[in-house]
Amino acid sequence: MPATLRPSGSLRDVVGGQAEVQVEAGRTVRETLAALGIVPEVVALVVVNEEQRSKDYVIQEGDVIRVLAVIGGG
Amino acid sequence: MNGYGGRILRVNLTNGTVTKEPTSPDVARNFIGGRGFGIYFLLKEVPKGADPLGPENKLIISSGPISGMMIPGGGKCDWTTKAPLTGGYASASMGGHFTAEMRYAGLDSIILEGISPKPVYLFIDDDKIELRDASDLWGKATFTVEKQFKEKLGEEFQVAVIGVGGENLVPYACINHDYGRQAGRGGVGAVMGSKKVKAIVVHGTKSIPVADMDAYRKAGMALYKACKDSEGLKDWTRYGTTIVVSWCDEVGALPTRNFSAGSFEDGKNLYGPVMREKIVITDKGCFGCPSPCGKYSRNKKYNSYVEGPEYETIGMMGSNLGIDDIEAVAQANLLCDDLGIDTISAGNAIGWAMECYEKGIFTKKDTDGLDLKFGNVEATFTLIEKIARREGFGALLSEGVKRASKKVGKGSEKFAIQVKGMEQSAYATHNATAMLLAYMTCDVGAHHNRAWAITYDLQVGREKVVPEKVARVIWLQNFRPMFDVLGGCRLQWVELGIDRDLYVPALEAITGIQRSWEDLDKVGERIWNLTRLFWARENEGFGRAWDMPSPRFYEEAPKSGATKGQITKLEDINRLLDMYYEQRGWTSDGLPKPETIESLGLKAVVA
Amino acid sequence: MRLYVDNSKCSGCNACRVACSLNLFSENNPKKSALVIEPQFPAPGVYNVKVCTQCGDCAAVCPTEAIKQDGQGAYYVDFAECNLCEACVPECPEEVMFVRSKLADTAWKCNLCGDCVAVCGTSALWIAEIEAVAA
Repeated sequence: MPATLRPSGSLRDVVGGQAEVQVEAGRTVRETLAALGIVPEVVALVVVNEEQRSKDYVIQEGDVIRVLAVIGGG
Repeated sequence: MNGYGGRILRVNLTNGTVTKEPTSPDVARNFIGGRGFGIYFLLKEVPKGADPLGPENKLIISSGPISGMMIPGGGKCDWTTKAPLTGGYASASMGGHFTAEMRYAGLDSIILEGISPKPVYLFIDDDKIELRDASDLWGKATFTVEKQFKEKLGEEFQVAVIGVGGENLVPYACINHDYGRQAGRGGVGAVMGSKKVKAIVVHGTKSIPVADMDAYRKAGMALYKACKDSEGLKDWTRYGTTIVVSWCDEVGALPTRNFSAGSFEDGKNLYGPVMREKIVITDKGCFGCPSPCGKYSRNKKYNSYVEGPEYETIGMMGSNLGIDDIEAVAQANLLCDDLGIDTISAGNAIGWAMECYEKGIFTKKDTDGLDLKFGNVEATFTLIEKIARREGFGALLSEGVKRASKKVGKGSEKFAIQVKGMEQSAYATHNATAMLLAYMTCDVGAHHNRAWAITYDLQVGREKVVPEKVARVIWLQNFRPMFDVLGGCRLQWVELGIDRDLYVPALEAITGIQRSWEDLDKVGERIWNLTRLFWARENEGFGRAWDMPSPRFYEEAPKSGATKGQITKLEDINRLLDMYYEQRGWTSDGLPKPETIESLGLKAVVA
Repeated sequence: MRLYVDNSKCSGCNACRVACSLNLFSENNPKKSALVIEPQFPAPGVYNVKVCTQCGDCAAVCPTEAIKQDGQGAYYVDFAECNLCEACVPECPEEVMFVRSKLADTAWKCNLCGDCVAVCGTSALWIAEIEAVAA
C-alpha cells in the first residue's frame, strides 16, 4: 500500500491539479517532493497523519501527508 | 449606487465641519475603492509640497466594494496619506471590522483635512456625525480608549484610535483598532495625531445595495465553499502567518540581528507551533474571514493579553533583535500597539541601534544608560516607550533609521535597513533577487506585501537575474494590491490558493459593473504608476537612486545561517532595475514615460 | 433540529451574521441577523455567541400567532402577520428574538436556514437534532 500526499493551494498546479497523489513509501518527504517537481524549499509545513514532521521524515506505507507551501506570502 | 455606501465624508478639522458628498460613479468605475480612492484623492486634493504633518495633508480612509459583504476577507480598510516617514506615498491596510461598519453607515471614504485647534474624536452613528471633544482621552493608551468607547457606546461601535506615538508625531506611528489590528506603516498615526484626532468611532445600520442579489449570494457562497474545501484551511487557521517563521529560518529569510543574517540560531523558540502551544488562546478574525490569521494570546509571563504576535513582529522584535523568547516578543508587540507605533519600523530601528552599540558607535552615554546588546529584552521594552514618547535616546530612533543614521554617521547609514526612508519589513534579502527588487520598488518604501516574490526566487533559482523574475514582481505589484482596492484581504488567495477568478462574478454582482482580472490588473497598473508619479511630484530629483536597497544586501554576506557567504552583486541590482523600468515603461531613471501615462489613460489625472 | 455553537471556535468574523441577513431579508446588513456575537476583549479574549435553540417560547406568547413552526421544527416569523408588539422579545432566554423597528417592520429570529453554517470557516456553528438534555 503506497502513501497519499495532499498538496495544498497552488502546489496542486505543480502536480497537474490533483487533490492527492499516491507516493512510494521508503523515501523522505524532501525526495518525494523533488520527484514530483515541487521545490522542497517552498514547502513551509509538512503534516503526516496529523502530526507535524520535518522534510527528512521517511514516508511509511499508508501515511497521509499534507504539505503547505508559501507561494503568495504574508 | 450598487456596491457602495454612496457617500464620501469630508471632515474639515480646522473649522469643525463635516459634509457628505456623493461617491462619483466615474471614480468608482476607474479606481474601484480602497487604495484606488486613496491615491485618487491624494493626487487631486493634497497640494504639491504639502507638509505631511501640516493642515494641507489629508488622511483618506477608504473601504472597497467587497468590504462588509459576504465575501471572504472583506474587512480591509485603506489609509492613504502623504507619509511623514518618507515624504512620499503611504497606504496602510488595516483589518478588523472598521471598514465594514463604515459601509453600514453609508460611507465609502472618510477624508480628514485641516488641523483641529483641540483634541477631538469623530463620532459616526449612521447619519449622526459629530466632532466631539477628546481632551480627556489625549495621552491615553489605545486599549484604554477603545475599551472606554466600547463600554460607553456598545460593542457594535468600531473604534480606530491613535496612541501617544501618534500624538507625539512619531513618523512611524500607527492607528489601532479591534485590540490588535493596525494601519501600521508610513506614519498614518502621526498624520491623525497632527490633526488632533484621537479616535474615530463608527456604527451603521444601513444595508449595502447590490446590483444582483441572487448572483451575489451565489458567488459569495462559492467563495466560502472554496475556502472551506481548501486543504490548507486547518493549518493556516491554526498558525496564521507564524507558519512562515520556521520556513524563513530554514531558507535564510528570517531577519537576524539587524539583517546581518537570515537564520537565527535560537529561531526554533519563535516558531509558530511553539507560540501556539505556549500562549495562543483563540483565533481572532477580521470581518468575514474564514481563515482567521489573528492569534490572540494570553501572556502569562507578563500577565497580559495581546493579539499576535504575527510573523512580521516575530521577525522584527524577535530574531532581528536577537531575542528568542516568544513571550517577550508578544509583550513588545503589546507595548507598541498600546503606545501606537509600528512594530516593524520600531523593531528595525532598535536593531539598528543595537548594532551601533555593539560596534561602539553608541555607548551608554548615548543610550541613556541602556545596555543595548542584541537580546536585551528589558532594554527593548524601555526603548519602545522612549520612542513613542520621543524621550532621550528614543527621540533619535523615533525619526526612523534613514534620518537617524544620517545624523549619527560613522558608517551607520550602511546598515540602516530601509528603502525610501521606510524600514524594511521582516524578510532578509541577501540572496533573493526578486524579493529584493520587490522591496526596492515597493510604492511605500521597503514593505513586503505588494509583491511577495521570495518563493519565486526559490523556484527559479534565488541568485538568478532574469526578465521572468522582474515580470513576476510587476505582476504581483499590479495584482496583489488590488485586494486593498477592493477592500478585502489577499490571504485567502495567498494561503488557501483560492482561484482569483471566483472574485470576479462576486464583484460584478455587487457593483453591476462588468469586470475581469485583465481589467482589474490594469487598474492595479494605473494605480502603481500614479503612486510613482506622486513620489516624483513631491520629491525633487526623485528617481533611480531612491530605489536602491541597503548596502548590506550587496556588500556584506551573512557569516552564518542558510545564506552564509551569499550576497547579491551591485551590478545585478542595477540590471534588475534596468529590466524593471523597461518592463514598466519607465525611463532609465525610473519615471513613467509620457507614452506610458498616455497608454494607461492617466493624462487627465496627473495634468 | 436546532443551531449549535462552540464559542471556543468562533473568531468573531461576523460572516454568519451577514449570511443571516441575506437569507432573512435579502439585505446585506448584519444588524438584521438572528445571531449575536459578543466579543470580550482585551480580556478574557473570547467570543460569546448567542443562537436560537428553537425552544418555542416566543411562539407561545405571540398574540397574532405570527411565529410558526416549519417542517424541520424551526420556529420562524411570518413577517406579514407580525404587529411589532414585542411580546416575544423578553421571553427569549437566549436574547436572540429581535425587534428593531427602525430597521424592519417585523420581528425576526433564526429560521434554521443553515447559511450561517455554510460560511463559518472555523466550524463553530452546526445544525443537529435537539439533544434531550441541554448541551
